[in-house]
Amino acid sequence: MPTFSLKLPPPFEEAVKSMEREIMRFLMRSTGDRQDAMDLFQETWLRAYRAYPTLQSEDGLRPWIFRIASNLCRNRARDRMRRGRVIAAEAADGAASADGAPHHVDRGPEGALHLKRAISRLPGKQGQALMMRKFAGLEYTEIGAALNCSAESARASVYQALKKLKLDE
Amino acid sequence: MKINPMATEAKQSPPIDDRVLDAMIGQTRPRIERAMKIIRRPQARVGVISSPLGQLLVAESDRGLAAIHFLFTSGGERTLAMLRNKFDLIENEASARRIGAEIASVFEGDFSAMAHPVDLSLVESEFQRRTYISLRKVPPGAVITYHGLAATVGHPDSPRAIGNTMASNPVPIFVPCHRVIRSDGTIGNYGGGVDNKIKLLRAEGFEVGRDLRLPSRAVMGHRRTGIFCRPDCSAARRADPAEMLIFADARCAGHAGLRACKLCKPA
Repeated sequence: MPTFSLKLPPPFEEAVKSMEREIMRFLMRSTGDRQDAMDLFQETWLRAYRAYPTLQSEDGLRPWIFRIASNLCRNRARDRMRRGRVIAAEAADGAASADGAPHHVDRGPEGALHLKRAISRLPGKQGQALMMRKFAGLEYTEIGAALNCSAESARASVYQALKKLKLDE
Repeated sequence: MKINPMATEAKQSPPIDDRVLDAMIGQTRPRIERAMKIIRRPQARVGVISSPLGQLLVAESDRGLAAIHFLFTSGGERTLAMLRNKFDLIENEASARRIGAEIASVFEGDFSAMAHPVDLSLVESEFQRRTYISLRKVPPGAVITYHGLAATVGHPDSPRAIGNTMASNPVPIFVPCHRVIRSDGTIGNYGGGVDNKIKLLRAEGFEVGRDLRLPSRAVMGHRRTGIFCRPDCSAARRADPAEMLIFADARCAGHAGLRACKLCKPA
């Protein structure tokens, strides 16, 4: 009789432990605001836990969780736009220099602000793809999975984004 | 001018310090814990055992047995997927072995383990839940017909629905769907294979013949009046099907606390 070997996916907490920093970094880069990033981190965590049983294989966990995070970022940005507020990146610039987070202290803020604004002006998908590639270090296939497109399209988005940033320069 | 984007990024946007990120994660932790208290799924211990009925996948929560799956019928993936939707699963051999021992004890004539509480979280429909609860009241050594079971849940015209309910029983053996037979006296089908149904019924005292019929000694017992009759007794035929159980023989019915009918005088 063939024996059945029980293969359970790891418990959720264990599975995401190693990714927490990456996610927080991604959210921090995407929103540019400490409080927003923390809110979205919590939201990402809880949504991912709730949907964890629907995830078919653990190999897909990383892009899947980044997809949740990026969807949440997009939703938040859209809500802000609707309410006619300033977009997150610009609001964050003021907040960040006010609370003096360490990563803002040791450099001239000029260039960073410029880059941040430029990224925030990119179309949603290009900006997301760029940040996942350059700040979170995901593979193109993973970005593709996270943004619901092919790896080629993800690569193209990053390329387009970089091209636009260079034109801006 | 050609700009190297990586260099631009490095100069203008240095990586965020890990300590900053860790501090932020630490700050969200209590909020996440609070929310998790509300949405966290209960735990279930899962394991694989071999039993007289073949290899079984078993799952048990703190409330009771949540699932038993006959692995020879199909791989346990579907059962596992259903379990994952309701529970956080952990592998636990000790728990599985204990359930294995309980099943083995049934084949040694000790039916007390059958009373193990069950957790019907995998059951979505109210009708099915009521059916399983009412089926658990059929004691070892007795069987009920699909029609009779339908009557106990108030739908005497829905024996087919009972058939479907039995087919999707998440906890066979302990929710004794092997004790449900067809009205014509044949034992009918079983999700874990007819052979296993026969094995279980035999262990509980029914000598099922080659023709898959109940033995001719079987008697009808009335749960409310506490009287058992021959199947052809006019009193038995008039009785409410929801109250009627079928016992292997007069002795089994006697053990269950019933007395013989004074009209048909079963042995």
